[in-house]
Amino acid sequence: MNTQLLPSPGTGTPMRPAHGPAPVREAGRFAGQHRRRLLRADVLTVTAWSSLAASVALWLADGGLTAVSSPAGMVTALGIVAGLAGMDLVLLMLLLAARIPFIDGAVGHDRALEFHRKLGKPSLYLLLAHGLLIAVGYGMAEGLDPVSEAVALWVLVPDMWLAFISLALFIAIVVTSLVAVRRRFPYEFWYAVHLLTYAAVLTSLPHQFSVGGLFAVGTGQRWYWLAICIATGATLLYYRIIQPVRATFRHQLTVERVTSVAPGVVNIEMSGLQLGSLAGNGGRFFIWRFLAPGLWWHPHPFSLSAEPVRTGPDGHGRLRITVRDLGRGSAQLLRLRRGTKVAVEGPYGLFSSAARSKDQVVMIGAGIGITPLRALLETTPFAPGQATVLLRGHSNKELYLGEEILELCRLRGATLFHLTGGRDPGSPDSWLPAAEHRAGYALADYVPEIASADVYVCGPSRWAGNVLNAARAGGVHEDQLHHERFDW
Amino acid sequence: MRIRAAVSAALASAGILLVGWQSGVHVADTRSAVAAAAAGNQASGTGTTGTSGAASSESAASSGTTGSSGTAGASGAAGAAAKAGGTYDGDVVQTRFGTVQVQITVKAGEITDVTALKLTDAEGRSAQISNYAAPVLRDEVLQAQSADVQTVGGATVTSDAYLTSLQAALDAANL
Repeated sequence: MNTQLLPSPGTGTPMRPAHGPAPVREAGRFAGQHRRRLLRADVLTVTAWSSLAASVALWLADGGLTAVSSPAGMVTALGIVAGLAGMDLVLLMLLLAARIPFIDGAVGHDRALEFHRKLGKPSLYLLLAHGLLIAVGYGMAEGLDPVSEAVALWVLVPDMWLAFISLALFIAIVVTSLVAVRRRFPYEFWYAVHLLTYAAVLTSLPHQFSVGGLFAVGTGQRWYWLAICIATGATLLYYRIIQPVRATFRHQLTVERVTSVAPGVVNIEMSGLQLGSLAGNGGRFFIWRFLAPGLWWHPHPFSLSAEPVRTGPDGHGRLRITVRDLGRGSAQLLRLRRGTKVAVEGPYGLFSSAARSKDQVVMIGAGIGITPLRALLETTPFAPGQATVLLRGHSNKELYLGEEILELCRLRGATLFHLTGGRDPGSPDSWLPAAEHRAGYALADYVPEIASADVYVCGPSRWAGNVLNAARAGGVHEDQLHHERFDW
Repeated sequence: MRIRAAVSAALASAGILLVGWQSGVHVADTRSAVAAAAAGNQASGTGTTGTSGAASSESAASSGTTGSSGTAGASGAAGAAAKAGGTYDGDVVQTRFGTVQVQITVKAGEITDVTALKLTDAEGRSAQISNYAAPVLRDEVLQAQSADVQTVGGATVTSDAYLTSLQAALDAANL
């Protein structure tokens, strides 16, 4: 396959970002990038906590604390604060899942979603507490039991029935996302329920502004709350809908050909326009939707397995993904027809040069996880001798794209190891083939300078976990570990 | 780096909460001043009525209007009182948004005025609803000369309490 980089339209510069690969650069060039990335992550942390504090401060600024004079008032006040904090967490969760480049570039897509998941239960507990405490507090003030009070609220107070529906939806969303429950249902079911989040948030809004005394017309609190709700909505709309639609129309991707790499593994080549802007994202993933009957609604997250290649003028070019039959969804991809239109979103994730912090780089991949490493190897900057690639598979046949990687390693001066063979059934913690494991090899035997290298790991999650542990044992700092999950 | 984030987040949050609390204290001061002024007016207004200060509720006591509240008049004298005119206080009605109590002024067996001694004000929004609903209810009551009027949309709780208290005052005035 032709892997020559093509010039961008008009300018004559190569189709790669300004910080593209160069054989030799000054040492320590990634230290600054790393510091900036950590600073961004810290700014995000501070912003998140501040927003939570601000939601409580809204209530304090309304004289909330001094207005509490009776037990009923105390319970009601707690309920109000729980509601404010809960809604703030919900908005943070929406932002974490909005695929905002600033967040993606600071912590990466999967870390952002990890935080998103972690906030799920606390936000639900706060919202439940909100409903419960308000019912109890109002009930105490009126001499009603909480149940009658809740019924009275539902029937008598406008917009409250919507709030009850909202709470029920939130419960359904969090429950279907619990790991134990989620495993019992197909992904599509979970996804459909998760889409109800938007309904849950929208039905909760009316009562916040009409019943919540804090957000009365003319108060600063009302403006602040409106601003954060609208900003969150606009962010979601832009990054989850407008941006993907624009990218799809800009690139006009169509399936060019599907070729077999190994049993159950295919290269899907697509042609399109203005592919220069997709270059240099080796290792990051895109979300592909193949617009064919029965396939169009299914999003597939895959990395490019090669940099875009020039085929014509005006940025006309080809790009490639490598797909393995991992599930029902990807099985259908093996039979894709030529000419199928493709919608694209991305790139996402931090499995790229943007995560580098050291001059040395080590790439470790297994199975289909090798393919994103192939694109990373093509573009990430290192001097000859500064990179090591370890490929792991049951047999040589499973070292997908192995020949291309060998060629790239020759070209760029990287060390390559093929580690093939079955696992040692007696040691589930090993990432090595049985023979190498018994011989007592460790990560440092392949890469002596591992402690001062960036380590990129891509493969099945159990195996990848073992590699990460081996790297930690070898003295690699957590910031130097870069891991991409692809079996989700 | 994580320590830096934790410390900055803690400081920022504490600062924001402190600012909120400070401005909250300010708001509360203004409010209690307004409440005190209102209570003063009520006290002077009811001084002329000579109604007995029985059966005051604990929340009425807390806002300093003990003397002015309570169901109006002794029932024995009520019939005569209605003819002679005067002011009558309605019951103190508890709602989830605060307490409501109204006072009616009667001349020659006609309601000539309705004054709200207490209106729901537990939260800023409730106070706002009250300020909007009270004049509407007053006009309706003066026109209908009874508590049998429409509640104000969006102020159901306040309206119900208002009319309940009003009915008690009407009963007291034997109207």
